[in-house]
Amino acid sequence: MTDILVPQGQWEPDQEAALATWLYGEGEAVQKGVTVAEIMVEKTSFEIPAPASGALSISVREDEIVLPGQVVGSVE
Amino acid sequence: MSLHDVAVEKPNVERRLTIAKAMSEAIGQEMEQDPSVLVMGEDIGKMGGVFGTTTGLFETFGGDRVRDTPISETAFIGAAVGMAASGMRPVVELMFVDFFGVCMDAIYNLAAKQSYFSGGKVSCPMVLMTSVGGGYGDAGQHSQCLYATFGHLPGMKVVIPSNAHDAKGLMLSAIRDENPVIFMFHKALQGMGWLGTVAGSINDTPESEYLVPIGKASIVREGGDITLVGLGATVHQALAAASNLHDAGIDAEVIDLRTISPLDRETICASVSKTGRLLVVDDDYLSFGIGAEIIATVSEALPGPLKCPPQRMAHPDIPIPFTPVMEHFLLPDAGKIESRVIAMLGEKK
Amino acid sequence: MSSNHSKRLWMYAQMVKSRHFEDLIKPAYFEGKTPVFNMAKGPLPGEMHLSDGQEPCAVGVCAHLRPDDSVTATHRPHHIAIAKGVDLNAMAAEIFGKKDGLAGGRGGHMHLFDPAVNFSCSGIIAQGMGPAVGAAMAAKMRRSDAIAVAFLGEGAANQGAFHESLNLASVWKAPVVFVIEDNSYGISVPKSACTAVANNADRAAGYAMPGHHVSGNDPDAVYEAARIAIERARSGSGPSLIEIETSRLEGHFMGDPEAYRPKDEVKRLQELDPIPAYRARLVADGFEEAELDRAESEAREIVDQAFSFARSNDYPEPKEAFDHVFA
Repeated sequence: MTDILVPQGQWEPDQEAALATWLYGEGEAVQKGVTVAEIMVEKTSFEIPAPASGALSISVREDEIVLPGQVVGSVE
Repeated sequence: MSLHDVAVEKPNVERRLTIAKAMSEAIGQEMEQDPSVLVMGEDIGKMGGVFGTTTGLFETFGGDRVRDTPISETAFIGAAVGMAASGMRPVVELMFVDFFGVCMDAIYNLAAKQSYFSGGKVSCPMVLMTSVGGGYGDAGQHSQCLYATFGHLPGMKVVIPSNAHDAKGLMLSAIRDENPVIFMFHKALQGMGWLGTVAGSINDTPESEYLVPIGKASIVREGGDITLVGLGATVHQALAAASNLHDAGIDAEVIDLRTISPLDRETICASVSKTGRLLVVDDDYLSFGIGAEIIATVSEALPGPLKCPPQRMAHPDIPIPFTPVMEHFLLPDAGKIESRVIAMLGEKK
Repeated sequence: MSSNHSKRLWMYAQMVKSRHFEDLIKPAYFEGKTPVFNMAKGPLPGEMHLSDGQEPCAVGVCAHLRPDDSVTATHRPHHIAIAKGVDLNAMAAEIFGKKDGLAGGRGGHMHLFDPAVNFSCSGIIAQGMGPAVGAAMAAKMRRSDAIAVAFLGEGAANQGAFHESLNLASVWKAPVVFVIEDNSYGISVPKSACTAVANNADRAAGYAMPGHHVSGNDPDAVYEAARIAIERARSGSGPSLIEIETSRLEGHFMGDPEAYRPKDEVKRLQELDPIPAYRARLVADGFEEAELDRAESEAREIVDQAFSFARSNDYPEPKEAFDHVFA
């Protein structure tokens, strides 16, 4: 099982980041490298690629605030 | 959850993109293999387009082939026509379709008539991509669809994908087409990060090259009781309505037009022959519109009467109001489609 | 050359009023749009184009205008509407989409019409220029000395309507003044990347009218250039073009990530904020701090009331959308 992490070091520490979109649903098959989610930091978006191939598991929902390095889901 | 042509098998693992990414990927792939392709428009350079249509292209191809223009639509769209006549394949962005007022001559009198006036000797292989649609409070001059306005004029093809898969395939077809293609993309489906996006527009989009044919509608849901025809955002509304109607025992067939002109009359007529009922849903102005054209087509072609009079649902013939209570009252949505279908089938809710 | 005491005080008060208006709009705009920005949400959906930094352009020109002078403005209209004397309660209500807005919520922030002071604005670049020529001609044909002013951005000077309107105004000797607010950016594209001339004021010669270039984002300098142009128009001598170097302190639209702007640029511009700079100059010229404080608090009070009015006003009935399509 591989954790899906919010990227680190890509925005200022005082900026608020939120999980904007999951491109796949719970249990769906994802391929390593493909964008699985989008983070919005104020008005800029950052993509999170799948760290491995497998079935997606979501632990943080859309519209929730996230921190750099936080686990938002996993791939099994 | 994601949109697909019932005729096409879904892969096991999907590579999902937003329409914005699909468009920029298509343009980039075509620019790699065809040096005559270039892209220009306002803010499409470093910014990647206000709607994300050219993300990454400036970094890859540089300022000669990815050109920011001044706010001079008449001049740069006219220039695109001239480039197309001279062997290039320009992809031009008209930021909002509502801006067509300042540059329409270059589009409908020049681009669209180049082949005709030259007896077929000079073509106009140009793509004009432009944003359409409202529903997010951008008011009367930034929320229009104008499908019928462009569909009505001879000499240009007009397409509107409802999802990323079709967006990429249609863009590749559009760039390769020898004729001017108006490529409309709906803001509610775009996925550019400053506006909510309908989830169904984000779907499997192969990285490899593939074409979606211009002029061919797609049956995205099969059913026997009624044909719902939609385009762009209304396809997703029709699908949502169809899902609820299914629970009420009504089986709706949903057609995604994908191309406005040339209209796929065959697919529409075949479907309506089967179901016997028709409702066209679009978010353009009502009169002289998409619904009118499709209903006329069906009335002319089908030999026998339908099970109930054909209907259309659209934005009324009034400027799109700013205030959300008015705008949402006027625009089609899944709930209104359901109510209308139930009324058409003569059942009480 | 300086304008008189009461005019300068008025200009200062209008700038404060205008900035306070934008300062109240900002948090209202972001209501409902966080943590993930979604333009459709909140009490102020859609686009929002704020005028922070551009206040001198509005006040320096409108200080000379009467209610019967016409003004057309753009998608970034608030500072101009305020300086022109648009009904602030109705304007705020319109922006909030409420029933007592200028158009009962039908127009929104980019389409504000107030016939009582002959103010209108719209969202398509440069297209307000033709109507300003027309309003000017109507005054001329009625034998009135009323004039018209068209505000535009420097990006609009590359649009066909700009060139046609200047030529037509000159040919007809229309009593119109064209005012360019040059904030250096058309969304993400800097002026240097898309305009053939360094100064749009130089284009005036191509249309046989005087061109004034005003630098420094300075209300007094704008006031002086506008005085000359407006007197020329009122006297029947025809149109003029004024180009004002100003600065856009916010993004093009609220929500604009502004990745195209160098990071230190916005910080530097904020140090050049025209409002504290003008206050400092007024004090240096002998204005009493107390008088300025009073003008400021009155200005803010009017804006607070307008927002209160707008917030508590009701939304219109949806079916009223069908009214006023035709008069």
